[in-house]
Amino acid sequence: MAGAQTNRLDNGGLIDRTAPLKFRFDGKSLSGFQGDTLASALVANGVKLVGRSFKYHRPRGILTAGSEEPNALVELRTGARREPNTKATTAELYEGLEAASQNRWPSLSFDVMSVNQLFAPIFVAGFYYKTFMWPAKFWEAVYEPAIRRAAGLGRAAGVADPDHYDKVWAHCDVLIAGSGPAGLAAALAAGRSGARVILCEEDFAFGGRLLSDGGMIDGLPAAEWLSRTLAELAAMPDVRIMARTTLFGVYDGGTYGALERVNDHVPSPPEHQVRQRLWRIVAKRCVVAAGALERPIVFAGNDTPGVMMASAMRTYVGRYAALPAKRIALFTNNEDGWRTVETALGAGLQIAAVIDARPDISPSHRSLASRNGFTVLHGSVSGVDGGKDGVRKIAVSLTGGARAEVEADGLAVSGGWNPAVGLTSYHRGRPKWRDDIAAFVPDGAPPGMVAAGAANGNFGLGACLAQGFAAGAAAAHNTGHNGKAGTAPVADDETFSLTPLWHVAGKGKAFVDYQHDVTASDIELAQREGFESVEHLKRYTTLGMATDQGKTSNVAGLAIMAAVTGKSIPDTGTTIYRPPYVPVAIGAFAGHHRDETFHATRLTPSHHWAAEQGAVFVDTGLWKRAQWYPRAGEKDWLQSVTREVKAVRSGVGFCDVSTLGKIDVHGPDAGAFLDRVYINTFTNLAVGKARYGLMLREDGIVYDDGTTSRLAEGHYFLTTTTAKAGLVMQHLEFCRQVLFPDLDVQLTSVSDQWAQFSIAGPKTRELLKEIVDPAEDLSNEGFPFMGAREVALRGGIKARLFRISFSGEMAFEISVPARYGEAMARNLMRAGEPLGVTPYGTEALGVMRIEKGHVAGPELNGTTTAADLGLGKMMSTKKDFIGRVMAGREALVAPDRQVVVGVKPTDRARRLRSGAHIIPKGQTPGPGNDQGYVTSVCFSPTSDQWIGLALVERGRERIGEIVHAHDPIRGEDYEVELCNPVFYDPDGGRQRG
Amino acid sequence: MAEFSWDVRSPLDRALAVGRYGGHGDAGVALTEIRNFDLIQVMARRGKAAEMAKAAEGRFGVAAPETPKVVQTADATLIWSGPDQFLVRSKGDKHGMAALAPLLAGSASLSDQSHARVLVSVSGAKARTMLAKLSSIDLHPGVFAVGAAAATSMDHTSVTLWRGNDRADGQAVFNVLVFATFAESLWHTMQDSAAEYGVAIGHSEEF
Repeated sequence: MAGAQTNRLDNGGLIDRTAPLKFRFDGKSLSGFQGDTLASALVANGVKLVGRSFKYHRPRGILTAGSEEPNALVELRTGARREPNTKATTAELYEGLEAASQNRWPSLSFDVMSVNQLFAPIFVAGFYYKTFMWPAKFWEAVYEPAIRRAAGLGRAAGVADPDHYDKVWAHCDVLIAGSGPAGLAAALAAGRSGARVILCEEDFAFGGRLLSDGGMIDGLPAAEWLSRTLAELAAMPDVRIMARTTLFGVYDGGTYGALERVNDHVPSPPEHQVRQRLWRIVAKRCVVAAGALERPIVFAGNDTPGVMMASAMRTYVGRYAALPAKRIALFTNNEDGWRTVETALGAGLQIAAVIDARPDISPSHRSLASRNGFTVLHGSVSGVDGGKDGVRKIAVSLTGGARAEVEADGLAVSGGWNPAVGLTSYHRGRPKWRDDIAAFVPDGAPPGMVAAGAANGNFGLGACLAQGFAAGAAAAHNTGHNGKAGTAPVADDETFSLTPLWHVAGKGKAFVDYQHDVTASDIELAQREGFESVEHLKRYTTLGMATDQGKTSNVAGLAIMAAVTGKSIPDTGTTIYRPPYVPVAIGAFAGHHRDETFHATRLTPSHHWAAEQGAVFVDTGLWKRAQWYPRAGEKDWLQSVTREVKAVRSGVGFCDVSTLGKIDVHGPDAGAFLDRVYINTFTNLAVGKARYGLMLREDGIVYDDGTTSRLAEGHYFLTTTTAKAGLVMQHLEFCRQVLFPDLDVQLTSVSDQWAQFSIAGPKTRELLKEIVDPAEDLSNEGFPFMGAREVALRGGIKARLFRISFSGEMAFEISVPARYGEAMARNLMRAGEPLGVTPYGTEALGVMRIEKGHVAGPELNGTTTAADLGLGKMMSTKKDFIGRVMAGREALVAPDRQVVVGVKPTDRARRLRSGAHIIPKGQTPGPGNDQGYVTSVCFSPTSDQWIGLALVERGRERIGEIVHAHDPIRGEDYEVELCNPVFYDPDGGRQRG
Repeated sequence: MAEFSWDVRSPLDRALAVGRYGGHGDAGVALTEIRNFDLIQVMARRGKAAEMAKAAEGRFGVAAPETPKVVQTADATLIWSGPDQFLVRSKGDKHGMAALAPLLAGSASLSDQSHARVLVSVSGAKARTMLAKLSSIDLHPGVFAVGAAAATSMDHTSVTLWRGNDRADGQAVFNVLVFATFAESLWHTMQDSAAEYGVAIGHSEEF
């Protein structure tokens, strides 16, 4: 049975009494209405205690009614959707909502850790730094985990988030933060002028303080003006007003970040819908009408449940018809606080007393007090008697020194208002101090941004409307929109007369930062210990470093520091403001990019055929490549790979190599261009021939390699490695456009145009004869090694055929337009069936290239020269090319460089591992005698043992030497022999045959 | 001797399942793959941009775009792809490699891209809303009019985006030309992005 809403008014408020909602808090069934927040529903149910504090486990209630809430943080939802540190004040109530209080054990009202309070005198600022110092290594292993269990906030769900998140772009002329009177007036002016407008409101309802405080605008009650204004804005096609959307940051070039809580107000998102949406809004102008936050006064016991911001109390009573107390006292230092008295009286509450810290009180308020029979005390609240059940008695220090006591079950506090200066300060802006309101206001803003209304320090309703309207009209005008904006809405301004008061001396803990349990005495201690700078103060005490980022505490903290150092508040200064304004879930930043969709993927033209064959795929950059094709009965990858290698070496196999980068190099100067980017020469390459090419970076280190074929006089077809495909294209475009603008050469990436297969093995020609038109001559004479030309295929399509070999076997690469790629794979399988054709993957490809001593990524590692790779002779001495000069530097041609050699274990049964270091035999391994390392290894079916390539100091001079392989990561030490890197067919007879 | 068939298979052949998916009600987004077109990259030779433009105008009857725009003729779409270069999309070898090469050989380099790209047309009442999840380009009707084009990226994938002629029902049509090997990945992202609005999936060989 859901609990009765004992503290709910029968009438009024913006809740829908025809739509009751059941919810649970700490397992207890309660009820509220549509239009409630979790906090307002708890208030309506008379719940005062909602959580335990971070460090001292003190009982805490609800302090505010907005996103600045430091206390009322709950774990919302259950299971995988459990979300810690959710503000009850912004969580919308929905049917079946489940929330649990945080940081208490075993239960909220009986919390074992609240004994921390007894030790409070030692849990001061810097306690952990001072106490858990020795032994240093204990910090991570013992101290920190224990402290984190005892302190801290809610628990993460610990399992993957089942919901989806979106990221969206939007564009507008005028972006408006906040839908209070200033924001709506700005939207009206900008929208009527014809500008494209986006207005973001973090609440689920538009109107800002109008929803709680009402008022008269243009002679209409605020609610009526509000509905008319929203209707007018809704009718404008280029105005988008977004509820549940917090503008949390401003970034370069007028880009803003906003978080839309699309489905946080329902138990789980409907099918196909996202939970939250991250908006990146590109706006030419921005009007910050984000309002102001009422600030607490620091006094002993100010964290007792039942002590609440005065404006929040008006919100609970006025907007939600929920009564936080029956008999309230007000502690204020300004005129605005008194509005809570009016609201409370209107709702039939008793006023115990008003404690006003100012010397003078207006006659109208005096008569209000006498009419309603409550006393007005000149002075300050110096203590609160109460506990987890709420406030019982309030101690007052009267002006002049006397003391008084007030009996009340709720205390409303108003210390003035702080404009929300976050957005205007996120580009390292420092707000300026205004004495008349004793608050920081924006001092400039990022380009295109202005603050208006309360966010700019103008608190009166009339001023908010006027300033918002003017800002909206100016923003529209500045973006070229000059339609008829009409006149600004008109309202009276309330008086706001404030006498600054930050801290009341008294016995007991007086909290500045509620969420991090930072007290006034912590700040005084920080000052005594030399942490006077605000940035030091912040880090030493952790003031303002909790999830609320000090929204209710920073200014009070500065003011207390100013008082103890004898400086003014502006001289004390503010810490740096950084986005986000409210916490944003990482899921929203990730959006679609998680799990399998973490990044885009690329599929080869034969991918789905390979998947049908049961291929195991490996991620290679963005690509999914077939790694091997397991067959029934094979017990591990090695067995599959070994079979594939043997099949190629003894028969024929094929492999999709479409992942290689492919570039059309066109133009009369194509050859000259290639001569400059490659170390070897291409102008003298005959049409119909292919050549292996190597390119260097400007600094002389090898950049990439591949074969390039000349298909026509002014047309070369260049290939790159898979890994460098995009980078080489960029590099070549840079060379073409910037370095050699005189050359007539054009580049086009054709990587995706061609499906390319390597066909290798002694039976390659037999297989190709089945595919290629019989008129094509594939003999050694008709199609010699390194030949390249277009051929006709049976069935009428054309292909490009290249006689190149990576495996060391008789091999061709064949290219067909990509949409024929899958057909090519199927046709090769059909035609090759009598030959036992075997598809092979990247592992077999790698094994065969190691057997053949071909270098690849592990050797082209960004530190090796052409000579290191054994390719020094390719460097032409007859022409200039990129990297030539720098490749001649002393260290790059030193005789003791580490160069590519082969390695094989002296124990033939031993497995090699790449990464093992090469040490001279008989020496103790160490940095002084580290002579290189093993770069690539494989089990070679041809040699029937593990073999590898290594980079070894003077390696080529040491062939035959036995050295020590030291692998500290795997704890292995063994002997290997340095050998010729070409393990297989060293004279190359097979590939030429 | 085996008989071979050389079936062309779109890179989206497996991923694309014709039908109606996602949210209920009228489909807010239509995703249609346009299959089997010819696409030729034309790049001016050094100093011959004017000559190329003249030859192109002679062939197509309209000037090729020199800014991020698309020009549509009865049987060809000319898509800007960079300074002094454009793509020619056509069908049935009308303006394929063999047809264009003799005309443009002296002034431009031609590269066949017919198999290198996949073309997806996005339309429907929620097309702009859905594309806003993928593209940082402002697609407001007043900013991105019929014929506007952009070389941009979607989901970290390089694409050419342009607004084609409106549908018969007046809805805007956005064309996304994506590299073929990225197509399936982007397709899934597009389909997921459209699902909440209801999505009608199809393919067409219409030009």
